[in-house]
Amino acid sequence: MTTANIHVDHVARVEGHGNIHVVIDQGEVKTCEMNVVEPARLFETMVIGRTFSDIPYISSRICGICSSSHCVTDLLCIEDAFGVKVSDRTNALRELLVYGSYLQNHATHLFVFAAPDFLGRTSVFPLAEIDRDLFDKALGLKALGNELCNAVGGRSVHPITAVPGGFTHEISGDEYLQFAEKLEATREFAIVTLDLFRDFEAANVQMKGDLLAMVNDKGYPVCTSRKARFVKASITFDCSEVSEHIEEYPVSHSSALLARVHETQEPFMTGALARVNASWDGLSKSAKIAAAKASLRPPEMNAMMNNVAQAVEIVDVLERCSLLCRRLAANDFEGDSTPVEIVPRAGRGVGFTEAPRGVLFHDVTFDEQGRVEKASIMTPTALNVASMEETMRTLAEQLIEQGAEEPEIKMEIEKLVRAYDPCLSCSVH
Amino acid sequence: MSEQEMTFTRSAACPSVVVVGLASCFGCQVQITNAEKYLLEILGQIDLKYWQLASSDPHPEHFDVAVIEGAVTTEESVKTIKELREKAAAVITVGACACTGGIPGMASKDFFGRQQAVYGDNTPTACGTMIEPRPVADYIKVDYEVPCCPIDPYYFVTVLQRALYGSNKSAHTATLCGECKQNERGCFYMSGTMCMGMITRKGCGAKCTNLGRPCMGCSGLAPDANVPAARMACERFGIDPAEFDKGLEVFNQSAHLAPVEQ
Repeated sequence: MTTANIHVDHVARVEGHGNIHVVIDQGEVKTCEMNVVEPARLFETMVIGRTFSDIPYISSRICGICSSSHCVTDLLCIEDAFGVKVSDRTNALRELLVYGSYLQNHATHLFVFAAPDFLGRTSVFPLAEIDRDLFDKALGLKALGNELCNAVGGRSVHPITAVPGGFTHEISGDEYLQFAEKLEATREFAIVTLDLFRDFEAANVQMKGDLLAMVNDKGYPVCTSRKARFVKASITFDCSEVSEHIEEYPVSHSSALLARVHETQEPFMTGALARVNASWDGLSKSAKIAAAKASLRPPEMNAMMNNVAQAVEIVDVLERCSLLCRRLAANDFEGDSTPVEIVPRAGRGVGFTEAPRGVLFHDVTFDEQGRVEKASIMTPTALNVASMEETMRTLAEQLIEQGAEEPEIKMEIEKLVRAYDPCLSCSVH
Repeated sequence: MSEQEMTFTRSAACPSVVVVGLASCFGCQVQITNAEKYLLEILGQIDLKYWQLASSDPHPEHFDVAVIEGAVTTEESVKTIKELREKAAAVITVGACACTGGIPGMASKDFFGRQQAVYGDNTPTACGTMIEPRPVADYIKVDYEVPCCPIDPYYFVTVLQRALYGSNKSAHTATLCGECKQNERGCFYMSGTMCMGMITRKGCGAKCTNLGRPCMGCSGLAPDANVPAARMACERFGIDPAEFDKGLEVFNQSAHLAPVEQ
């Protein structure tokens, strides 16, 4: 009978600080914890009393990888609160900014964080010597995401130009066209990436809880809808009602709050795999073909398939972004991106986006001068921790049944945690 | 010898480096990976002993240079950086959080009241022993600083080379305002918009102001900054100096804490 006391102090190759603690006694899983030990920075208290225009700047600093998402979510929140309508062009630029962060995040996660697990390495750097071409193209994909964020947001980490009402700067039409060409030229490598991750031998570990993603009547929305859906429970709700459907609760082993579905009390997963499950029909044509080729079709509840889902999203994002760039170059969106005037008023706003790692909500109440009275932030990784712990337990039980011993269980659980692509600095904000 | 060791174990003369993150958004470490073009060249010059973000290799006992990101917000972090200082020949702080307390420092005023507001009476044990957020230099001697939020990856490469090979270059003392005025972008104050460039240390290349956004002060106060004069200038342009003081809080709030008793 397997007996193990697994304690991974500081899980490597994830964003932020977290420990894994699993105790197995005579084949029985006694403890199964993901300890988020990220230092608390108390963002929700920092913004109280500050004027609305400072808020996206500050909240972007919650996370260096997801900064574009935090920034855009706050802009949507401010505009919701003050009843501001922005141009179609501004909305298109925001989509481009969010998609750029998908490319950057997914390429970093898949190659720098996850791939070494499947290649039996401790980091991505040896890949430079094993397969230099793959290494260069992988970093190239990540760089393309960064370049896109740089071009649209002025910087890949913590955007500069995205402000309430619009953008303070835009690149030229020719530059958009150059991006379109680069994005199209990268598609071939995106397919190589998908094949690579499809072929990696990974565990089959079924998640028991629900899935949560942004949805729309059609398409594959990331920042253009206000509707969210629990896929399994078939509960669709407007983002302004988020606190009625997601229950957050504290546990002592984590500095992040955990979460469950209010109606069913189940944990849930959010992220690429949840999105593919929720909006498979809305994937772009090339991504749908790629997903089918990788046998990724809903319902897919194997948590390890989140890696494959991210690879599918890279294909999807490349097609969407090249189209957006071509339309921006051709002035095919109504209006320009010059920031529209904002007149503050008292009230509450909710911003909702799909960050690379899943649903992100900013819920802020302002006074009549536009100063923050109350702020609440729900990040995808905090929402995922409960699901992660439950799936870790399922995996441990599966492995015990197969007679696995401590080192294998430890390694497989680490792989699973990385497959969720946790962003621990986001989760404790 | 494993392939891993072959890749990184250079000659004894090759300086060894560790990268450690404290309370931060990790963005400065991400910026280091964003120097993609130069990443392998950098790695070719150093023996990267520990970088938790990119590798699962364990923390080493011996190294030459410690790169620290993030503000100090727990007793546990104080212990970590003191150990790093004892072992490292050179300490480099990267980013506003480590250099000035940065954004985490915004919470330094009434810190424990805020902790109560977020967690109530039950702060999770996982948070560690929380203390008021401070820059790394409040606790240990820092040899080189890479300012800004986030850092510029190439500025980091330059500073790393200074730490590895030595240099007579000193840190900037002048303010961004003087630099920005040369860029033919106009001045925000002319349209009644507040900008922190008057008192903020130059060296960022005026990225934000060049893209039409006022400076928020992320590289910290310039040693030559004249804050009372800046307040007077605000009044002249019809901006309430109280707003200016509020602007200063974003990256310089930790400076108001009493010095640490050593």
